[in-house]
Amino acid sequence: MTKALFKKQIMEVFAWLYKDRKTGKIRSAKGIMMYAVLYLIVFAFLGSVFYTVAQMLCKPLLDAQMGWIYWCLMGLISVFLGVFGSVFSTYSSLYQAKDNDLLLSMPIPVARILLVRLFGVYAIGLMYELIVMIPTILVWFMKAPFSLVGAVCVMIIPFMLSIFVLVLSAVLGWVVALIAGKLKHKNIVTVFISLVFIAGYYYIYGKAYSLIQLLLQNVEAVGEKIKYALYPLYQMGLAAEGNLLSMLVFSAIIGVLFAAVYFALSRSFLGLATANKGAAKKGYKNKDQRVKSVSGALLQKEFRRFLGSANYMLNCGLGIILMPIAAVAIFWKAGTIQEILSDPIMQPIQNFIPLLAVAAICMVSSMNDITSPSVSLEGKSIWLVQSLPIISRHVLAAKLKLHLLLTIVPAIPLVIAVEWLIKPDLSFALLIPVAVLLFIVLMASFGLFINLKMPNLNWTNEIIPIKQSMSVMIALFGGWIFIMALAGIYYLLRSVLSPLIYLLIVCTLLLASCVIFIRWIFTTGAKIFSEL
Amino acid sequence: MLKIEHLTKNYGDKKAVDDLSLHIKPGEIYGFIGHNGAGKTTTIKACCGILQYDSGEITIDGVSMKQDPITCKSKIAYIPDNPDLYEFMTGIQFLNFVADIFGVTAEKRKERINKYADAFEITGDLGSPISAYSHGMKQKLAIISALLHEPKLIIMDEPFVGLDPKATHLLKGIMKDMCSEGSAIFFSTHVLEVAEKLCDKVAIIKGGKLMRSGTMEEVKGDTSLENVFLDLEEEK
Repeated sequence: MTKALFKKQIMEVFAWLYKDRKTGKIRSAKGIMMYAVLYLIVFAFLGSVFYTVAQMLCKPLLDAQMGWIYWCLMGLISVFLGVFGSVFSTYSSLYQAKDNDLLLSMPIPVARILLVRLFGVYAIGLMYELIVMIPTILVWFMKAPFSLVGAVCVMIIPFMLSIFVLVLSAVLGWVVALIAGKLKHKNIVTVFISLVFIAGYYYIYGKAYSLIQLLLQNVEAVGEKIKYALYPLYQMGLAAEGNLLSMLVFSAIIGVLFAAVYFALSRSFLGLATANKGAAKKGYKNKDQRVKSVSGALLQKEFRRFLGSANYMLNCGLGIILMPIAAVAIFWKAGTIQEILSDPIMQPIQNFIPLLAVAAICMVSSMNDITSPSVSLEGKSIWLVQSLPIISRHVLAAKLKLHLLLTIVPAIPLVIAVEWLIKPDLSFALLIPVAVLLFIVLMASFGLFINLKMPNLNWTNEIIPIKQSMSVMIALFGGWIFIMALAGIYYLLRSVLSPLIYLLIVCTLLLASCVIFIRWIFTTGAKIFSEL
Repeated sequence: MLKIEHLTKNYGDKKAVDDLSLHIKPGEIYGFIGHNGAGKTTTIKACCGILQYDSGEITIDGVSMKQDPITCKSKIAYIPDNPDLYEFMTGIQFLNFVADIFGVTAEKRKERINKYADAFEITGDLGSPISAYSHGMKQKLAIISALLHEPKLIIMDEPFVGLDPKATHLLKGIMKDMCSEGSAIFFSTHVLEVAEKLCDKVAIIKGGKLMRSGTMEEVKGDTSLENVFLDLEEEK
């Protein structure tokens, strides 16, 4: 029985490799190989980043006779990455698994179902953790003196450490399970937490080099402090250096932690897994309903879809947050930026700074690709707009309006900040917002155009049209490539065209493209939509 | 009310509906039966303007679905067999959305939402997101949304699937009431007993072709609808 359960769990964990998420079909052997190679390349690319970090840390710490700190730090990074990678799926895979009801109806002890589920979380955490631990081990073997006991311990450590990752993920997943359904604005909270994570990641990434330098300069003082704060990792570090007793202490700590968490979870698992999956019942008060026009109702529907999905907001609406942040950053760091811009080294680009400013604003605004999955997101509910007395043109117009509103409004402070910073002459001051506006309209209409050309209504998880669709990829990268192409063309023509004339030409081209795309959307596109 | 004339719809080489003609008059409850894949849903979707057809004509209250789909759709309501509604909305948000599209006034929508939500016993759930609804609750919500604008014609695909006995009974009553007020109902079902008891007229479709149609008495004669259906199924 246990073997069958583990086999099922392994199949579930590795479904991403052998199963096409879009069609649900099993991939061919060649397809699996190609997919595996692709993942290995991504794995190697990410691993190379941590390989560099390991290279920076290992030798100086070994020279300072503090090799265990190397393991502490790399272990900490791998635990962070492992938890980051598995925590989001822990709640759903432990408590919301689709086969929970099926397994609970079978003669299987609840504790064993939990054990199998935890194994799934362990495997995901291990995959993430190995991205850090494989380069860590490689660098260690290259730099540290060899000891047989140490080598054996080093090979066991990633698998033990992954249990620690599992413990943390399971505890966080349990907390999520407890508060799930009680949160009022779950999607907004998810977006906020994700943005904090992203901001934290980039902050640490930006400071990593100086932090490492600081650590290496004060290695002994830091070592004394973290020895007790990260005691299990301290023991892990000593084990890697060949201390068998430390290996036993480290394993015992992990074992006790796991046993405690497993015991606690097995007591609450049944209650949480069988709790009402739906959100808490919200009362409805019999009040007067606000009447809206057809276009108002359609726009509100699009807004609700956007705000109702953390995935949609995070993947297709990052520009909404980034543009005001960029505006604030410009006001905040204006002195530094102006210093850089007035540096003699920047002299050759002085006269086309307004063009660069337009390119930069457009680049940030193109982080919004709200229209590009919007047709696909209708999914199986498309029958509604098709059977209601609505002209398809109006449905598509609502999708365009949502993109425009959510991009133009946050772009305004950025344009103001940029113009305040570079203080362009009147002609540029007028043309910059026009160019940005036309670019935003073009991106909105292009996104809708490409999704009408490549719709996918047969999805079971909204992440497929949002994250894994060709139309989103083309719209996102297409926008960046388009901006870079325009910049490249100007570089080639800079001796024959003034920046102002070039910007005028670009605006004319953008306007013409907008007219062409919008015309297509409201004629051919509307026909395609009504026949989907 | 609904006139289907020589309707033909092909999927590649396969004829899903082949030269089908039906006429549903005001006040009639018209049942549409056939085995799985017979062409019922294709016909229904074509009548609602969801599916384009290759030839023939569909008119609603004298207006061509091909020529003026918006006018046609404003007179009808459609309830699919599997109501995939907007899961990102709450029940009341969805009802308001549909009411906005049909231009139902604030007073009328309030009155009708209260009336039908109370009758189907989902008033307390209208504030919850549709994603938390069961299949039956979604079906009830789809039915309420279809009744908000008092359509002249309701087209339903397997409307009783997923409904509890009380809701089924209620829906049958609503169907009868609407027809007595001059509306028409065209619905598909596999439950032959329901069709036999509820329908004024019935049509049996097989392989996209109309096998038999007419009043219930004309179609079944002295035997049961089930026997007629099974006999037709055995015919090659």
